[in-house]
Amino acid sequence: MTWLLPSALGIAAAAAIVAVVLHFIARSRPVAEPLPTARFIPERPVHARARAIALTDVPLLLLRVAALMAIGLAVAGPIVGSRGRVARVVLADRSRSVANPSDVRDSARVYLGSRDQLIVFDSAARRASGAGALDSLSTGSARGSLSAALAAAIASAATGLAQADSIEVVFVSPFAAEELDDATMKIRDTWPGHIRVVSVRASSASPPPARVEVSAATNDAVDAGLSLLGVKGQDASIRVVRGRMTAADTAWVRDGQRVLVHWPAGPTDAEWMPRGEIDAIGAVTADGATLVARFPRAWVLQGNTIARWADGEPAAVEHAVGSGCIRDVGILIDQASDVTLRAPFRHFVQGLLAPCGGARNVAPMNPAAVQRLSGKDGLAPASALRDSSSVASRWTPWLLALGAALLVAELALRRSNPARSIA
Amino acid sequence: MSAAVSYGALLDAVRGVHWQARRAVTGAPAGTHHSKQRGTSAEFTEYRLYRQGDDPRRIDWKLLARSDRAYIRLATDRAVLPTTIVIDASASMAFPVATRAKWQMAREIAIGLAAVVHADGDPVGVAVHAARGTMRILPPRTRRGVVSEIARVIETADPGGTESLASTIVAVRSPRIAIITDLLGDADDLLRAARVHIVAGGEVHLVHVIAREEIEPPRRALLAADPEQPALQRILTDTTRRGYDDAFGEWRSEMARVWRASGAAYITVITDEPAPHAVRRIAEPASFGAQRS
Repeated sequence: MTWLLPSALGIAAAAAIVAVVLHFIARSRPVAEPLPTARFIPERPVHARARAIALTDVPLLLLRVAALMAIGLAVAGPIVGSRGRVARVVLADRSRSVANPSDVRDSARVYLGSRDQLIVFDSAARRASGAGALDSLSTGSARGSLSAALAAAIASAATGLAQADSIEVVFVSPFAAEELDDATMKIRDTWPGHIRVVSVRASSASPPPARVEVSAATNDAVDAGLSLLGVKGQDASIRVVRGRMTAADTAWVRDGQRVLVHWPAGPTDAEWMPRGEIDAIGAVTADGATLVARFPRAWVLQGNTIARWADGEPAAVEHAVGSGCIRDVGILIDQASDVTLRAPFRHFVQGLLAPCGGARNVAPMNPAAVQRLSGKDGLAPASALRDSSSVASRWTPWLLALGAALLVAELALRRSNPARSIA
Repeated sequence: MSAAVSYGALLDAVRGVHWQARRAVTGAPAGTHHSKQRGTSAEFTEYRLYRQGDDPRRIDWKLLARSDRAYIRLATDRAVLPTTIVIDASASMAFPVATRAKWQMAREIAIGLAAVVHADGDPVGVAVHAARGTMRILPPRTRRGVVSEIARVIETADPGGTESLASTIVAVRSPRIAIITDLLGDADDLLRAARVHIVAGGEVHLVHVIAREEIEPPRRALLAADPEQPALQRILTDTTRRGYDDAFGEWRSEMARVWRASGAAYITVITDEPAPHAVRRIAEPASFGAQRS
């Protein structure tokens, strides 16, 4: 048995001791007894202090102590766990890094029991329930995030598996390098036990660089920069539109896993939400590459950010359209500048030309990182995960009811004999 | 159950007790008490010269023949003394709560005195506050069974409330009134009404009933509340006990003094005294050497 708030037990015990002491030293207002000649008694304050060597009114004391302890136990929140039961949280990867979702299903099914929890994740994690949750698992184009999966597992274990004795996290994933981020190990360190790592096959290596077609005016600066990048060609899966988008562009994206980069050459080439006050900023960054120049900012963009201004505001965002995506790039390039001809632009623009969901890095994670992710400790005790603010003891209402009943009994006992002291 | 059965032992104990009037009784039917009137009874008292207007039938003709003077033969008359027993049925009389010893004592004294008065051939009645504060007055009667009637009236009474005894005294017309009370109610008004009655030629006997528990309260500390004034609450402890004893004793002495000074017969009865003994002390104080005013 564990307690949600063990300090309440100490407080209740202290209160019980105080009650016992008060029964030794009772300061009470005596119950009035009729005496017709009371008028002849000299006037004194009606409070009297009575000291008794022995405990006064033991039944009343027992009731009071019992009521205090019952309420203390209720506040302390006893958790009677299923001794020896190990609950599992199975994290099933459905990101683009997974080669075959059936591998994930089969591996997860080995560990998933009827009372365990299943969490599926890619860039976000969600708890899946129901008999068919695992059967319907399929992979998507989103990048996986071990951090999101771990955070969801810890939260789920803390709230949903409090009655178990120990909790084990089972990670079913290809553990691609792109799924690891800076927060992953920090989140991992908050898990107080071992994590079972179950590797499945990762998807094949990144496809060869996609071809890009550009729809732009003659002598367009971006077009020139992309020409230097050497990615322009026929049958492209990426289209850069430097003017207004057309319905044909949208249909082109929707038909396949294509990327359309809408990069207006001027403020009138897009109907995005204009900024209240157009300003200028000195740098923009995407996927680790930074482009330094003076850029006017004409729009306020909202969506999945793929490039940010120096102050953190989105400079380019991505929207999924069918199986492809459209990227709105709010970076106005001065046609007279040579910024697109420099090397930083080529690094920068690669982030904008990445496949939908970002660049894919399916290389396996460093084995040391996998080892650290697994850890060496034993199973995580459920008591270490309980959040007293969200976990409730099922004994608490009954104990509170018992405490209330004892208080009522104490009142009845006191009223049955008015001579009983009120400590 | 009749009063004779309920109070059989008491009635047996007071048999033979006589309650004489404290003074000669004025104008009343023939009875056992000395009357202020001189009549024609067989109990000769003196001769008086005949005066115009006297009844010629009362002239002692033999003395006239011997002395040639007309004398009237005078004899002492006997008169009855109607008596009403007034019982205080205020809340303070129901003390102690467990035994109601004061009320029990008041009832037994009332029944005992009624029996004594009735045995003397005097009319006897009772006045008491019945339950819910209604006054029950049974006028003095001499008929057989009046003691049982008085007992029944008393049985209907239940001590409680703060009804005035003084108004009862005013309402009672009997020459002799016996008041059985603890004097913890309207003592001043009661004394005033008694004085008026005494000045008018009546007799007042005050039986001051005191509970033993009032004289010797429990030794433990207690919060005492006056049953007639619930707001009056005092702590009785070892430190206040002496003050209580002194004040209560002085008050009792003062009550005895003022009542006797007013011309009433004042007798204190403690609840642990046997009721027949108390009745004898009230009716025949001389035989107990008691002080009489």
